[in-house]
Amino acid sequence: MAGFLYMPNTTQSNNPASLSYCIVVRCGPNQQSQSLSALQFTQELLAQGHTVMRVFFYQQAVLIASSLTVAPQDEASLTLQWQALAQEYDLELGVCIAGALHNGIVNPQECERYQLDGANLAQDFQLIGLGQLAAASAECDRLVSFGA
Amino acid sequence: MSCLISVTQSPYGSRSAKESLDAALVLAAFEQNPGLLFIDDGVLQLLPKGQQPSPHKHIGKIISALEMYDIDELWVETESLQELGLQAEQLSQPVKLICRQHLSELWSKYDQHLVF
Repeated sequence: MAGFLYMPNTTQSNNPASLSYCIVVRCGPNQQSQSLSALQFTQELLAQGHTVMRVFFYQQAVLIASSLTVAPQDEASLTLQWQALAQEYDLELGVCIAGALHNGIVNPQECERYQLDGANLAQDFQLIGLGQLAAASAECDRLVSFGA
Repeated sequence: MSCLISVTQSPYGSRSAKESLDAALVLAAFEQNPGLLFIDDGVLQLLPKGQQPSPHKHIGKIISALEMYDIDELWVETESLQELGLQAEQLSQPVKLICRQHLSELWSKYDQHLVF
């Protein structure tokens, strides 16, 4: 289920009604339209001058943080688009560490800890715990979750 | 800040049940007073018998630990219970029943709502 918020009159920049958001993405790259909704909603929030405290990738969405997926030439890569957004707005892309390890997404530290063959966490993503979701949800004005 | 977590998935059909309860436990550990609403197949997570989930985590055991985390707001949608042919007395925990037409009132009591 995706949460959508209707926000009238937020087109001007330096919007005084700017809010801080925490985005939870639960749908994987294969749930195409839902994954895209999460990305586009976040893009629009930032474009309208809102703050996104943290994007939290949970459940199937941890697969978006893999640097080893190759999109067909005529399709856009969700991973690259999130990375571009993170670089443009200094956005925090947090990936649930338990879900990541379960789904074969590891950073160099976890690779070493578990003696794995290689790390594949994409650049600009970081492995964090569920507690970071709880912390962000406590501080944000709006928590919006995407995924079924 | 309070968060209602709606649980819609059966205990072992996917990892969703485990992951939704993990989120509830962590929110409780951060003192955010999560409530749980069991709806649709999520009600099956409250069945006390017949869970032999090896090699998976035992969902029934996580459910029975909720009380230790002070998660005592457990809601079950009446219609979901009826559709599964169950009665509240058969569930592993004491729950509060709520019918579908009053769900929006429940949602409005919480600051946030996560659906799993």
